[in-house]
Amino acid sequence: MTDPAVALEKITKTFPVPFQRRVIVALRDVSLRVSTGEIYGLLGPNGSGKSTTLKIILGLVSPTRGQVQIFGHDAASAQSRANVGFLPESPYFPKYLTAAEMLSFYGKLCGMRRRELAKRVDELLELVGLTAARDRRLGTFSKGMLQRIGLAQAVINEPEMVVLDEPTAGVDPAGTRVIRDLILELKRRGVTILLSSHLLGQVQEICDRIGILANGALVRDGRVDELLIAPDQTELVLEHASPQLVDRISKAAAEGGASVIRAAPRHRSLEQVFLEATTEK
Amino acid sequence: MSGRRPVVSLRRINAIALNTFTELTRLKVFYFLLLFALLLIGSSALMARITFQQELQVLKDVALGAMSIFASLLAILATARLLPQDVEDRTIYTILAKPVERFEYLAGKLGGVLLLLALSVLLMSVVFFVVLFLRQQTLLAETARQMTGLPSAEAADAQANIRHAGVTTTLVLAIVIIYCKAALLASLTLFISTFATTNIFTIVTTVFVYFIGHLQGTAREYWLQNAGSTVGRRLFLGAIALFFPDLQLFNVVDDVAAGAVVPVTLFAKTAGLGVAYTAIYLLFAWAVFYRKEL
Repeated sequence: MTDPAVALEKITKTFPVPFQRRVIVALRDVSLRVSTGEIYGLLGPNGSGKSTTLKIILGLVSPTRGQVQIFGHDAASAQSRANVGFLPESPYFPKYLTAAEMLSFYGKLCGMRRRELAKRVDELLELVGLTAARDRRLGTFSKGMLQRIGLAQAVINEPEMVVLDEPTAGVDPAGTRVIRDLILELKRRGVTILLSSHLLGQVQEICDRIGILANGALVRDGRVDELLIAPDQTELVLEHASPQLVDRISKAAAEGGASVIRAAPRHRSLEQVFLEATTEK
Repeated sequence: MSGRRPVVSLRRINAIALNTFTELTRLKVFYFLLLFALLLIGSSALMARITFQQELQVLKDVALGAMSIFASLLAILATARLLPQDVEDRTIYTILAKPVERFEYLAGKLGGVLLLLALSVLLMSVVFFVVLFLRQQTLLAETARQMTGLPSAEAADAQANIRHAGVTTTLVLAIVIIYCKAALLASLTLFISTFATTNIFTIVTTVFVYFIGHLQGTAREYWLQNAGSTVGRRLFLGAIALFFPDLQLFNVVDDVAAGAVVPVTLFAKTAGLGVAYTAIYLLFAWAVFYRKEL
């Protein structure tokens, strides 16, 4: 049986408060699994423990109790990160490096050889749409471009899993869409993706499974479609329905012991309106 | 990507070192420091002129002193900012999220500083040797002119004295010692920065250790002379010496500037001490950083 990409077993993380006897509990008994090839979204309000969870997975922070395995390796070992890429929230990359130099630097850290690396850098710049900016210093990049080059560095060594912390934070809707498409492209290539985000609509759209953290505990974990089902409700979307037809349906529903909760014109998402308006010729 | 990984990868250390070196060379403040040091070394030729030998000695004193101070200052200031800056910029997360051991990260950072120090010391040495050589040649010519008519043995003796006080291979060894001391200070700064909370704390603490390091040799001798040498006291002093290096030993550079004959073995011992302390502080830094929560 293949190892899951991520396996957290009863993880608890506490941080001691300096000069006091008490501790802050960041995570309590969190267990979750991310299967290979899926997109897993980690949700939760600020301070719920999302970043701590990601840092534990990446070996940047050690759990106080519990076990973490990445593709079967202990998360504390550097070996566990050989197949993992990471894009932190609002990353900063050395301004003095060009896009190609930055990717080469991260490739070398992954032990890549010069020839293999040169090819991979070209390929990735193409993938994230930054070929034209190849020799531009990162100091001149926009936020969206930085996120894209950040994503490229995360996958420089063709990892089996990518961890993305708020990958679209501070990026405009058009840039967000590019990043979302890149994430879906990575999934198509078989890469496992673990991301944290506040953008619920986006998570709902691209994630296969989600986990919701609240006060350091995992309060929901499962497939998006299953979690979103309201078992006692049925959605009926009509096109060209007259008010009389809607009225007749409401009456029929009442006769059958059901009730129409809402009957109103269907709204498009703000993102759809925004993208339509900003890409109009 | 599977298979056994080497415990420590020189390729990764090298990549981090070169990146750190590039990062540091982009900081303008160090250019000002270097320019200041070069000006000081260059102008040392204009200092006090009493006798020919004394003039060269003053030149060497000023130049080697400037090199030592600048190299030490550069080592402390450049290293103190490395870790906090990486944490603040979150670059440390992207680096350590790659299959990079924490020791490799620290060794790479130190390597970058050592490269910068090597380049700076080399540049200062070139200026120093050029200034010293030119001055020496001028003095030789002046001596030859002034001693025209005197017995040739006397003239040869005077010229030999000037040559002895001028460019010698011992000066190269003294510069190596200056570099070793700067490397030691860089490693010490790196160690302190692994547990420090701010840059200022790192710099101030390192400067304190620097002064203690310069004074501890005298204090130790005074204490042992007055209180007597027991095994307990020696062990205690040994422990102190582990954390506070006896920087007075590096004053061998002053003896070279003064024209004293310094045996090569003493140079080797001092350089060895510098290398050993650099390695020890790097290991201390790793011990603190190994499980540090980032």
